[in-house]
Amino acid sequence: MKKLSSKIWLLIVLFLSATVVFMYIFTNFLYEQLYVEDTKVTMVEVGEKLQTMYKGGKVTDELIGAIDHYAAYSNIPIFAVRNPRELSACVPFDVDYDALIGPDERQQLIAGNAVTKIGYETRFERQIISVILPFTDQNRLEGIIYLYYPLAKMSELAKEEVVLLITGAVMFLLVAAFFVYQGMRKILNPLANLQLAVNHMAKGDYATRVEVTSKDEIGTLTTAFNQMARSIQREDEAQKSFLATVSHELRTPISYVKGYSEAIQNGYITDQKQDEAIRLIARESARMERLTNELMQLARKDEKMPISEFEPLVLAETIRDAVSLLQNQALAKRIQIEQSLEEELIVMGDEEKIKQVFINVIENAIRYSQENAVIFIDSKEIDNEAVITVTDSGIGIPAEDLPHITERFYRVNKARSRSDGGSGLGLSIVDQIIKQHDGKLKIESTIEKGTDVMITLPIMEEL
Amino acid sequence: MKRAHFMLFSLFILLLTGCSDDRFDRIDPHQSFVASVNTLEPSITFFDQSANEIALWPLEKAYTGAVLVGNDAILLYGHQLAEASLYELSTGKHMQTINTGLGVTNAYFDEQTEKIFITNSKTNELTSYTMKGKLQHTVKLHNYPMSMLVSDGKLYVINYKDTILSVISTETMALLDEWDIPTSSHGLVIPNGRDELWVGGHGEGSSPNQTVDIYARSTGEKLKEIPMPLMPVGFSQKNNEIAVVSHGGNILYVVNEDGTIKWQLEIGANPFAVAHFKDTLVVAGYDDHAIYFINNKSIEKKAQTGKGPFHLLVREG
Repeated sequence: MKKLSSKIWLLIVLFLSATVVFMYIFTNFLYEQLYVEDTKVTMVEVGEKLQTMYKGGKVTDELIGAIDHYAAYSNIPIFAVRNPRELSACVPFDVDYDALIGPDERQQLIAGNAVTKIGYETRFERQIISVILPFTDQNRLEGIIYLYYPLAKMSELAKEEVVLLITGAVMFLLVAAFFVYQGMRKILNPLANLQLAVNHMAKGDYATRVEVTSKDEIGTLTTAFNQMARSIQREDEAQKSFLATVSHELRTPISYVKGYSEAIQNGYITDQKQDEAIRLIARESARMERLTNELMQLARKDEKMPISEFEPLVLAETIRDAVSLLQNQALAKRIQIEQSLEEELIVMGDEEKIKQVFINVIENAIRYSQENAVIFIDSKEIDNEAVITVTDSGIGIPAEDLPHITERFYRVNKARSRSDGGSGLGLSIVDQIIKQHDGKLKIESTIEKGTDVMITLPIMEEL
Repeated sequence: MKRAHFMLFSLFILLLTGCSDDRFDRIDPHQSFVASVNTLEPSITFFDQSANEIALWPLEKAYTGAVLVGNDAILLYGHQLAEASLYELSTGKHMQTINTGLGVTNAYFDEQTEKIFITNSKTNELTSYTMKGKLQHTVKLHNYPMSMLVSDGKLYVINYKDTILSVISTETMALLDEWDIPTSSHGLVIPNGRDELWVGGHGEGSSPNQTVDIYARSTGEKLKEIPMPLMPVGFSQKNNEIAVVSHGGNILYVVNEDGTIKWQLEIGANPFAVAHFKDTLVVAGYDDHAIYFINNKSIEKKAQTGKGPFHLLVREG
């Protein structure tokens, strides 16, 4: 009874039962009404025809005989009465005798009207429908024609079929209930599957999917569930791989630090090489520091930056600051950085973070460029937005890796993870900061030809 | 202007209420009349000898009968009324109320003793009153006493739902005799100077009575039956002629005192009452609400009455 399907099924079956009962009563009512009405009309017709046999004066034995003769062949009991006792002629007197017609009916009949009655008649000891027509002559009620038909016969007629009717109704209800049950099961089964899937999900089985079998609301819900499941699964996998990557990334420098420090402690390293070992330890420590800093930055991913902390920035200056910070790296690879910056571009933003964006992007360009290469940095206003393009002629990114380039720890060349010095978090941070500034990041790349990184930031609205 | 209208209206209302001050149309004391007591919609219609309507008394209470008391009074009673009312004809004024109790079936005025006799079907009693409505005696009879006739100091009462006719002394109200008669008997007449009592009736159950039964007044013995179908219940006598109406057959029979039918006439619809009015025979048709004036064996005049004329009262000045 707790199941929705059971409730709906019960409701439908109840409705069906109510309909069947109502229809039965209504049909019965109609049947009786129509039948009674039809019988009445027939009786009045017959009576009126017989009435024409009366030519005035006393009601003769011949007339009564003729009506009796007709009645012998009729399926409606008919008789003529001329006995004034039966016609309530003694009405002003208190008469013990129960006459065929009452005082009011007598008045109607004297007026020449037909009287029809439906009800129990003590004379016949049963429910009858009766039609009474008068033989009147000069206001004298000389006699009447009395036609009647037992109502019981009609219900008897109906009674024969009542068993059939009830059996039919019960059969119909059973069949209807069965099909409704089947239908309900078919309709609501996906819901049950969905519920099962939700349970699986709750237990941590994110690979659970439900087969979409319909296009109705349940189908839509199932599709939405599947999408949700996919998202959760992806997130979960990303989380796992992220943790794996983090621990992997941290383990390498830690083992360096641990190994070298133990070696120094145990005196395995000669004094000449000790400096180098310490430098190595310092480098790996710096690397760990940077990694943890970047991780912390990423951990704030979901925190929306308060707009109030934004300030107007002259974009060209910020870019120049970033470039000057990377000048040494560029010089080390003899890479030339060409800048074509529009000086009037002012954007709203956090200076440190915007600078971080350019540092990361330009650092990548330097990292993946050959020696003696040239990097172009270009900024201009397009459609009320500042568009900054960093173009290198480096190794490029394969097309299949492009969509994932901003994912954390995603590396195009997995084998070169550490040799190129990146943590795999740079572009993730760039993407996150740009999103916080309502900007866009677009990366186009051709392998072995170079990469274009386009950053779009909204220009500060003039007040 | 408005005030004037109001005054005029008030005067009119005053006049109206003044006129309807519990008073019916006056009947001239010298005027002969035949009055039909109509019971279907209670009223009394007064006619003169030429069948002209001289007065109509609409009755607000459900009176079922009336009887003339003396020359200038009429007593109205009702089966479902606890009181009978005595009205003066010459003034149309209410004179007296008689507390009869429910169930009054008939009232009869005996000129000889100047007594009013009232029969009651609830108590099955016969009660006598003075002309002024003062209660005198009560005597217990049998089931449903109704039809009454006084002759030679004897009151003959038919117990309608019984098979007994009671003979009562009008002076002492003592029960003198009881005869066997058929049930549902109604209507009495005593042919002048004969030791006979004629009894009419409706008949028992579904079989309508066909005859007038003649009993010996001295013995109560049934002498013979005169066939007068169907259901002879109304009688009137004048000189040597007795008129009988059979309401089931709508027939007026005029018979000699010896019971031979002189002539008969189909008349009215369900006539219950017949009366001699001067030289005319008057018959009231209950179902056709009409009164018929018969002269020379044929209907001379016909007049409409109120609904359901049931009794005929005659005063000849």
